[in-house]
Amino acid sequence: MDRRQLLGAFCATAAASLITPEVARAAQPTWSAAFADLDADVPRTPMTLVRGRAPAGLAGSLYRNGPGKFRRPGGSVEHWFDGDGLMRAYRIADGRATVEARFIDTPKRRADIAANAVVTPGFGTPARPGAKVGDNDDVNAANISVMRVGGELWALWEAGSPIAVDPADLSTKGVRTLRDDLKHMPFLAHPSRGPDGDVWSLGVNGSKAIVWRLAADGTLKEARMLDMPRASYIHDFVTTPRHLVLYLQPWVQDRFTTPYADSFSWRPEMGSQVLVVDKADFSRRRVYELPPAFAFHFGGAWEDADGTIRFDGCFSPDPSFARENGRSLMTGTYKRQAPPLLGLVTLRPDGKAGVESVGVAAEFPRNGARTAEPRRYTIHAAGDAPDVPMFNGLASHDWKTGRADAFNFGAGMLMEEAVFVARPGGSGELDGWLLAPAVNTKAGATELHAFDARRIADGPVCTWRAPLTLPVSLHGTFVGA
Amino acid sequence: MRLPLLLALTLCAAPFAARAADTASLTVTFTGLEPRGAVNFVLVNSAEAYGDKAAPVAADRIAVTGDTASKTFEGLAPGRYAVKAFHDVNGDGKMGTNPFGIPTEPYGFSNNAKAAMGPPKWDEAAFQVNAGAGVQTISMAR
Repeated sequence: MDRRQLLGAFCATAAASLITPEVARAAQPTWSAAFADLDADVPRTPMTLVRGRAPAGLAGSLYRNGPGKFRRPGGSVEHWFDGDGLMRAYRIADGRATVEARFIDTPKRRADIAANAVVTPGFGTPARPGAKVGDNDDVNAANISVMRVGGELWALWEAGSPIAVDPADLSTKGVRTLRDDLKHMPFLAHPSRGPDGDVWSLGVNGSKAIVWRLAADGTLKEARMLDMPRASYIHDFVTTPRHLVLYLQPWVQDRFTTPYADSFSWRPEMGSQVLVVDKADFSRRRVYELPPAFAFHFGGAWEDADGTIRFDGCFSPDPSFARENGRSLMTGTYKRQAPPLLGLVTLRPDGKAGVESVGVAAEFPRNGARTAEPRRYTIHAAGDAPDVPMFNGLASHDWKTGRADAFNFGAGMLMEEAVFVARPGGSGELDGWLLAPAVNTKAGATELHAFDARRIADGPVCTWRAPLTLPVSLHGTFVGA
Repeated sequence: MRLPLLLALTLCAAPFAARAADTASLTVTFTGLEPRGAVNFVLVNSAEAYGDKAAPVAADRIAVTGDTASKTFEGLAPGRYAVKAFHDVNGDGKMGTNPFGIPTEPYGFSNNAKAAMGPPKWDEAAFQVNAGAGVQTISMAR
């Protein structure tokens, strides 16, 4: 075994690490409740309806994933993104809602529990003495998103395998190896589902990626390698029916070190690039040039009849959240930073490319229902509040009229990503509801808000409140009843 | 299998190995195996050999028919040794790796030293073999 091989993906190197002394935790800001540890699984628990009435027809389960345990006596994570994956289920039936949460039983969590310290390295946490890092799945936190595949949920990280979870009780079923020779290959947390139901995902290592294509039931259809022009940090990508569209930001991996985030350099002089690849033939490709900007998330892409490709995303001036504020959250010392702004990238057949920013602070872009028309709306967290690390509201942006439909709860409501739920029998891109959990720091509780997707400004049609606070989650998916 | 080397080493050690009591036997046992394929391993007695910069004391392959597999070495000179092993589950003779170079077949090291962003160091895997009978048990369970 070659040492450099193990350095490959997320298994970056480090001498036995120096542990940064934790910043003394004095007075914690109120928002820190959303980043506190959950120490034990939460059994299915009724939520209380505190606002409005549950809309008829809204029934099913909202599954959400995100880090939920950060601190251990012998050492803690140093970045929000390194907490143990916590799967949550909000189940809605007959106008009532319940909540439950269960930690994903990963090798990382087992190792850290056994050590009574976070020894396993991660995105922003170094390896510590006693870490076992034999392959990517030893360090797989399974903590970013969740996808439904056949009868399973897959908890997704971005540098290791999917980990299967039972949707009925959220118990961990195990690591999913899609093919024996592809064991431990990375699988992004933001796969893209095509109109034919196929699931496309990537696994990235430097300037190489594996491109996964799965049937809706999770069966591997094909896996091909893709060479990229640079070793960008890739968290998300988009697809059209014909193309893979990869945003290659100038945060590039230029060394092997741990934590992983420290192996990247911000190189704005390189600009951003977009690599567009024909799904059928990776040698058919085009690279577009854009001004430098950092992005975690994109909504979705669509293609005009003339071949113009458009996609929406949330763009920041630099990776300061990934590098610094994601760490500061763990010590309650978040610093004001420029929020990401909603933008629309246009890639034209003549090779010209541009980003139209609407100047709206936004994160967690999502789409509504898939329709035959070109897509018109972006749904996103909105309402940036100074000195608070999450948004306080929800909005949709209409790319046709330029109008926003927004609601802001004001300070004290830390909004998580909203997921669109189509109205049974409905049609149209926003014919349905938006389900978004939030941490209400004034009530000291996690809440679940349901909005009419076409009337966000009216505020939630109903809100359920849990008798506890769960750490804020990252991404979710809804499975109808 | 590097039999000539093993012989050479034994010969070198001969002056000290006049009495059986001065030599060592070592039984290496691999546990946690899936009963198929073979365990490929090397027994080394220096940091150089551990780093593939010198020949091993022995390189061997033992078929796996149960959940454990063992091999006993006789006539070893007392000293520091280490074992590196992988379970050749599919029997192709190579340690399987995925396209990014990460091992896809189980592996293990003496002392059950753990990989941490690379193989464990010699100091972590090395163990003392004294005159008489010694054992080294290596878990290959993932």
